[in-house]
Amino acid sequence: MTNGHPTREEDFDLYALGALEGGERQVVEAHVAVCADCARKLAEARGRVAMLAFAAPRVEASPLAKERLMARVRAETAPARRATTAPDRHGGRRETESDVTRGRLFNRWWAVALTPVAVALVFATILLWRQNEGLDRELANERQSLASLQREIEEAHHVADLLAARDTVVVPLMPMPGMGKGMGRVTYNAHMGMLMYDGDLAPTAAGKSYQLWLMPMHGAPINAGVFNPKPGQVEHWMIELPAGVAPKEFAVTLEPAGGMPHPTGPKVLAGAVA
Amino acid sequence: MPDAALVERIVQRDESALALLYDRYAGVLSSVLNRILRDTQAAEEILQDIFYQLWRTASRFDPSRGSLGGWLLVIARNRAISRLRKRNPAGGEELSENQVVAPANLESLVAKRELLVRVKAAVDSLPREQRDVLELAYFAGMTHSEIARHTGDPLGTVKTRLRTAVEALKHNLQPSDETRQRDLGQQATGNNP
Repeated sequence: MTNGHPTREEDFDLYALGALEGGERQVVEAHVAVCADCARKLAEARGRVAMLAFAAPRVEASPLAKERLMARVRAETAPARRATTAPDRHGGRRETESDVTRGRLFNRWWAVALTPVAVALVFATILLWRQNEGLDRELANERQSLASLQREIEEAHHVADLLAARDTVVVPLMPMPGMGKGMGRVTYNAHMGMLMYDGDLAPTAAGKSYQLWLMPMHGAPINAGVFNPKPGQVEHWMIELPAGVAPKEFAVTLEPAGGMPHPTGPKVLAGAVA
Repeated sequence: MPDAALVERIVQRDESALALLYDRYAGVLSSVLNRILRDTQAAEEILQDIFYQLWRTASRFDPSRGSLGGWLLVIARNRAISRLRKRNPAGGEELSENQVVAPANLESLVAKRELLVRVKAAVDSLPREQRDVLELAYFAGMTHSEIARHTGDPLGTVKTRLRTAVEALKHNLQPSDETRQRDLGQQATGNNP
């Protein structure tokens, strides 16, 4: 420790990793509790260490997991909605003795008269409750559809803007000799920095990924996306790249799974910008 | 739409905002949970619990204190390690505590893709023995001594290897000026490709 600060900044990363023990750990904890500067460094170290999550092999969450989460959320909100509309049962005045006597006779008569009505009301309540449950489910489904539509509309706007722009270029990507079948297409606008890729390539071998590159007129290739196509599925996505980069060529290379910072594998598809 | 705006909508009980945040982060969270636990069902339970906690305590999130994506990753790892080692999660799981400043804008798909490439490259470039201790610390939640016992290496050696590995990681994850400017631009415009 120097002036109370950890001697080495890596101590924050080691703390965030959970590798420090006993005294070492307590020293960092005690210090960040009183030093805003070091608390900030620890927050940055937590962020850096958290990025190691990206080193984990990609495992998609099951679509059912999302459905279960949303059902849990709806189950919490539905009773709350019903509770807010329930009648107040504690608003009546206090009864007197004569009220009670009159009430007993009155109640007997009404009890007989109203039994069928009460039964009907119970049935009606059950029916309405079931309808309410059904409506809650429908509402939740509609909300989910709406969220999905919002996403689609957002993407459709991006596509429309990209296609409508005068300076957008469309570059067909053709297979390189000896690299099998497949083809792709890049729609790119340098001014907007938007790129859309559509392509049909065979699935990669295990441990490999395809990677799309923008080869600029000047400078190093720019990563424009890593992908692993599924059998029989056309790949399609949009991606935002640094604006103002003039492309010379677009190419898809075969790289180790997860992609590389610079192209290292053979070109599978390529297309020069006219 | 930025995370902060979606969290604001969650506070207003908008379920579709939670669904959008789920779509944004469930992939990477699921990956790290499965890597740590190697149990799909347990990973899914934790994934669901984290987003349910977000739903219930979203009002405590203060975007000026750090990144939501970073917080989700920290919590996911903490819970998975606790489950793996059969112990209660450590404190600091509330949205209002445990500041996490991510080195890139995790709201952006482009930044996430770049980060994926950079992290994989950074880890792959480490010598084998450094990569092993880093993985034991991050994915198995082991301390220096536990790693030493596990590998049979002297404690001092383990400490040196891990320190060197985190130094290299820190160096490789330093955002470039270009990345920082673009992330800032995307945060300002709320653009999340």
